Formats: sequence, C-alpha cells, structure tokens
Amino acid sequence: MNKMAKGAMATGLGVILLVGGGGTLATWNQAQSASMGSIVAGDLNLAPSATNGTGQWATAAGTKIANIAAYKVVPGEALTYTQNLDLTLVGDQMKATLALTGAGVDNGFGTNVGVVTTVAKGAKTLTGVTLLPADSGAITATTTFTFKVATTGRDAVNATYNFSTVGYKLEQQAPTA
Amino acid sequence: MRTTHMMKAAGLVLAAVILGLLVVQGSYALWNKQASMAAGTVQAADFRISLTDTNASNTTDMTLPNGTAATLALSTSPIGVLVPGKPAYAGVAIANVTNASGDFTVQATMGTVSIQNDAGGLAGFLNVKAVAAASLDKCPDASLFTGVPTSALPSESIAKNSSTAICFQVMLAPTAPASTVGKSASISIPLLVTQKS
Repeated sequence: MNKMAKGAMATGLGVILLVGGGGTLATWNQAQSASMGSIVAGDLNLAPSATNGTGQWATAAGTKIANIAAYKVVPGEALTYTQNLDLTLVGDQMKATLALTGAGVDNGFGTNVGVVTTVAKGAKTLTGVTLLPADSGAITATTTFTFKVATTGRDAVNATYNFSTVGYKLEQQAPTA
Repeated sequence: MRTTHMMKAAGLVLAAVILGLLVVQGSYALWNKQASMAAGTVQAADFRISLTDTNASNTTDMTLPNGTAATLALSTSPIGVLVPGKPAYAGVAIANVTNASGDFTVQATMGTVSIQNDAGGLAGFLNVKAVAAASLDKCPDASLFTGVPTSALPSESIAKNSSTAICFQVMLAPTAPASTVGKSASISIPLLVTQKS
C-alpha cells in the first residue's frame, strides 16, 4: 500500500469520525422570543395641499388674478398670494419648526414695496414657534405684496419681483433626551 | 526637540479634528422638507401719459425714454401771426395709456402760464385762457372760454385708457401798442399728471 493510499484512507476515516460524532457535541439549549414588537418611524412632510394646493393671487378687493405674469401692479395696490399646504408631523418625540427660505429677486422695486409672509393654521401663526404633531393638517401660507402709496415720481415703473426662489422649510428639532 | 515634535503632532491632530467637524456638520441634520412658494413674478405697470396736439401727427409721451420730461409744441388755429382782438386757439389731448391691470386714474393739472423770450413787452398784452374739453375739436370755439378767468388752471381726472383735452385761447389785447408789432414770445404751460389714490 503506497503512501497516497494510506493518506486517503486516513482522511476518509477522519471524515467518518466527524460525521459519526456530530450529535455528540450538543448540550441543553432553549430559544425564547424577545417579544420586542416593531419600531415604527414617524413622519415629517410639507407639501402643497392635495385638494387645493395651487396658490392664488388676488387683489385687495378679493378679485382673483388668473395669471400674475400678465398682471401689472401700480402704487397703492396690495396683492395677496394664498397657498394651502398639508403639514404632517408624526412621532411621539416629534418637534419641528417652519420657516421661510430664500428671498424674492427684486428688480427695481427697492424700498417701494413691502413683502410679508405668514403661515398659519387657523388663528395660530406657525412660523417661529415649535410645532408638534397636533399642528398637523391643512395650513395656509399668505404673502402680501404691497406697492407703497409713498412711491414718488415714476419710481419702479416696469419693475419685477420674482418669488421663484422663495419657499417654506419644515425642519425637525432634536428630541430631548 | 521632542517637545517640539509633540506640539506639532498635537496641532496637526487638532486641525484634523476641526476640519473633520466642519466637513461632517451635515450629518447632524434631522428630517426636513422644503416646499416651493411658486408665486411667480409680480411686475409693476408703466406710468405712461400721451400728449397729442390738434395736429394728430404731433404726439409724444409725457416722459421720454431717457426719463426727461417731453415738450410738445402746439399748433395754433388760425395759423399765422396774432392780430389784436382776434384770438388764436390751441389744445392738447392728454391720454392715460398705462398698461396697469387694476384701477389707475390720474389727475392732470395745468400749471401757471409763463411767457418767455418776451420782446417789446408783448407779454403784458397777451391773455391766455385754459379750459378742459371733451375733445380737441372743441378748442376753436370761443364760447368755450366765455367767463373763464385767465387765472383758471384746469385739473382733470383721467381714467385708465381714457383721455381729456385742455384747450387754450391766446388773445392779443386790442390795446397792444405799435411797439409790439412783429415781436414774439413763447408761452409755456407746464402740465403735472399724478396718480390718484
């Protein structure tokens, strides 16, 4: 019997011994479920209202402006833009703040206009305060563009004010320990 | 020497830590969501007032493209020299041709008449009356000026896309002396148009 045959036999015997002794290593053991349940994440969202989220410009008299790009404003007018948003805050420790982002691009109005934006849910102003899940629901953002009566001469004729860079930011606040 | 190396190493570590903190500051962000306002662009209207002579081809915007005030030379009727006792008439149509979308009514007010380049004392014998009229074709009507004092300064309200006319009657007094013959003077009448609140 050559060396290779002896080696093969020894290897085979070792494997057989391993197979045969597989069960002999077991000791008592038991598994138990931790019963920890599931962890569910909350939610934070701010989006135009699913039902009436298209913003609308209107004159001080309440007349709706179909196309603001075609409307020409004069001193003494105050236009109002109203947009309905859906605010979602879910989480036992959820806290958030809501703020305006960006600024309008003013091309020629200068100090002859005043722009004020408020975001509210009913009578409650939502900007600058800590929001909780109870504040979730339909909210309204209102921007008032006032072309001041005090405008003199021909100041600001044909001026433009672009709101495309303005938005709202809802930001979670870190939970307290 | 060894102390120097340790200080250098400490400085390097500190710089690395600061740099690392600056780089990874975004990782502290929590949930956030932005929504666009989508309010578009608001544009101011033009403030455009058009002035037109009785000769309709003689017209100008009250404010020139370079921002300066325009001057409109008015035609007189009848054309020619002024004869004592015989009036000459002129007029200007003032149109509110703004592109404003909302209400935009203006008030056009005539200023005090002034006579320049007066030669031979002509100004003392000239009377200028001004009165508002519905249109320029009413201007050569003497009855329009009956009872109107020379000090009257018409002031008219003009709605958007509307116009009004101011007519002038220029009279050389019958008592004008011979020294005024062949003399000339220019009559200047300022016009102020303001937006009504």
